[in-house]
Amino acid sequence: MTDQRQRPPRRGQGELEAQILSALRAAEGPATAGWVQERLGGDLAYTTVITILTRLLAKGAVTRERVGRSFVWTPASDEAGLAARRMRRVLDGERDREAVLASFVTSLEPNDERLLRELLAHSEAQRED
Amino acid sequence: MGVFVFLPLVLPLTAWPIARLAEQRLHPRTATRLLTGLAVVMAVCSTVCLGLLMVVGTAQLPGNPLPDGWSDPEVREAVPYDEIAGKLAIPALLAVLLVCGRTLWRHRRVRRRAHLALADLPGTEVAVLPDEVPYAYALPGGRRDRVVVTTALLSCLEPAERRALFAHERAHLAARHHRFLLAARLAARANPFLRPLCTAVSYTAERWADEEAARVVGSRRAVACAIGKAALVSRGTPVPTLAGLAAPGPVPRRVAALLGPAPVPRTWPSVFTSVGLAAWGAAAGTAVSALSSANSAVTMVLILHAATPL
Repeated sequence: MTDQRQRPPRRGQGELEAQILSALRAAEGPATAGWVQERLGGDLAYTTVITILTRLLAKGAVTRERVGRSFVWTPASDEAGLAARRMRRVLDGERDREAVLASFVTSLEPNDERLLRELLAHSEAQRED
Repeated sequence: MGVFVFLPLVLPLTAWPIARLAEQRLHPRTATRLLTGLAVVMAVCSTVCLGLLMVVGTAQLPGNPLPDGWSDPEVREAVPYDEIAGKLAIPALLAVLLVCGRTLWRHRRVRRRAHLALADLPGTEVAVLPDEVPYAYALPGGRRDRVVVTTALLSCLEPAERRALFAHERAHLAARHHRFLLAARLAARANPFLRPLCTAVSYTAERWADEEAARVVGSRRAVACAIGKAALVSRGTPVPTLAGLAAPGPVPRRVAALLGPAPVPRTWPSVFTSVGLAAWGAAAGTAVSALSSANSAVTMVLILHAATPL
């Protein structure tokens, strides 16, 4: 079985999410999934829009509220906020990220904290002398 | 080749004293370069020797699909204790290749995914992320090197300390510290005896960036304060250790070093100091390691050549 129809090229991962998010941002106030579907030109199925919105909800990029029998959706954050969340996911997902990304500071052991406070207090006292 | 083929496997032990002393006694730039160089050469030699032992090991496998010369008795006799060493070398070499491959793959993946996370932001060098978790990273590669820092970390620093933070991360990027770190890490994977060198390199690379930041900002104190404050606000995950016995961790040592005098850049320490002795010891160990692996490799090639009927 082959599909004879010309299909549009497959969208890149995350491209749909970005489109739907920017459509939501263009809305004044909360918008329904139907509104988003219309706004994007209608080549997306309603269920696809719902799926992507739910995925964005799981990522914390949108919030939703129940109005009547359906939900209205609101974008939660801008590009920087979204990037911050994505970055956190990368960092939390990698056990040995310290090896790859040189971290500014590494975790402190209980003793280190006391030592560090002493060092800083000492240097502060020296400056005031 | 006799016992020489085993030497490079244990000679990394000669680098332990310098790994310990270089942190305090050498300029961090010298220490990073020296330790990474030692680690890489020793790791390559040790892997070559594992490969040679593996040849002997595979020769014993029944029905091996290798050239006839491979299983010639002469090949086996070239290595003492060929029965045990040869058999052990096969899984050891496979493990080394697997672990190194995985380390490389993970390294690429973290970098790619981190760049992808920032892809929608304007392409400036510094990416400030609104996040309540304080962290800062130097992210090399991608379309351009980037410094990633969160608002939570910036908000707890004073202007001079922020400059110190950015100078520190830029120093990581400018001097390509990630390459030293990756090389040392791969070396430690190839031979576990090289692990102290890997730990030392990750510390000296931070110290190198600290010193560079202190030079750029013009204040050692500002860098020390920036590190101290950043560490105190980001102490989220206490590592379970025996607090009473634990030696000071890397952060207090870095702060203490910055509050002290600047290190003197020297190319090679005098042999009459303990650090000089340790450095020369490690250099001698590396040289012996290189010579014995080269000797073993040549011997093995000659034997295989002689044993293969052409």
